[in-house]
Amino acid sequence: MVDRPNRIEIDKDEVRRDLMKLVLTIVELLRQLMERQAIRRVDQGDLTEQEEEDLGTSLMLLAEAMDELTEQFGLTPADLNLDLGPLGPLLPRDR
Amino acid sequence: MSDTLTYVYAIARDVDPAAVAALQGVGGGAVRTLDAGGVLAVVSDVDRGEFEERALEERLEDLEWLAATARAHHHVVDTLGHDHLVAPLALATVYFDDDRVRAVLDEGRATFAAVLDQLSGRAEWGVKVYGRPGGAAAAATQEKPGSGAEYLRRRRQALRETDTALDDARDAAAEVDAAVTTLAAASRSHRLQDATLSGESDPMVLNRAYLVPIDRAADLREVVASLEGHPRIRVELTGPWVPYSFAQAPEGAAP
Repeated sequence: MVDRPNRIEIDKDEVRRDLMKLVLTIVELLRQLMERQAIRRVDQGDLTEQEEEDLGTSLMLLAEAMDELTEQFGLTPADLNLDLGPLGPLLPRDR
Repeated sequence: MSDTLTYVYAIARDVDPAAVAALQGVGGGAVRTLDAGGVLAVVSDVDRGEFEERALEERLEDLEWLAATARAHHHVVDTLGHDHLVAPLALATVYFDDDRVRAVLDEGRATFAAVLDQLSGRAEWGVKVYGRPGGAAAAATQEKPGSGAEYLRRRRQALRETDTALDDARDAAAEVDAAVTTLAAASRSHRLQDATLSGESDPMVLNRAYLVPIDRAADLREVVASLEGHPRIRVELTGPWVPYSFAQAPEGAAP
């Protein structure tokens, strides 16, 4: 540290994993928002049965894909969250 | 000017000086009693350099020193509190010398007597209530939904339960508080601890201290035991404690 003050140790895998974590966190946020929006539209009753089924299936597949991806990168759902300090966590802790 | 200050652990009544003789206080000092007729103070000498106002401010940020001092303080108060009536004072309550402590005792005799009367025959109990996680966790264990519509229905149910779980837990905690309050002579609210501090993953919804008559401790345990397996909350009971939360420190507690 003393003789090479400008050098920072970079672990490529670590960077890749952290980047993936951030990307997945944002995707997860969008997924949850879409899910809530879909549920709201179903509650309002402005979707046909077929639309409802399609929407549900897409969201289900998306959730499965998310689970697989998270696992593949050795992450847990709890990792896909950001602590926003006084604002609390980005995503609800209990999804 | 002497090089020691008088550290006060607790205000008490009817303590035989021999009962404290074996106790070791903060910094290893011998514990003594200062009698002011009716009420007495449990004290020991501490190093002036360590406890003088400016030095003390720095010391209180030294966690190791703080832990050692808190342990010694609690040891004295707890040992004595087992079979005596004591009103423990806050950590690091120090006076210039013994005479100053006697003067404070004289001046506030009525107040101290009232506090001791209030504590007599009663002990402090702590009740912490945590909310249990909502429906999302339970829904995850179910088998895969058969259709898209079914998936949406389940998610709606899970989200709704998660949203109401905390409210339900707060309501249930209020009921616990009401039930325990009927047994208690007094109660005092403590700050809710954040999940990161409490080391619990569930959110804390109640953190309160109750001053409960000793003969009602069994009732208290029963109330808490009856709440085991409550679907919304988990209740944690600790005690009996020396009544730290119910003893007011005398005013102007500075040397």
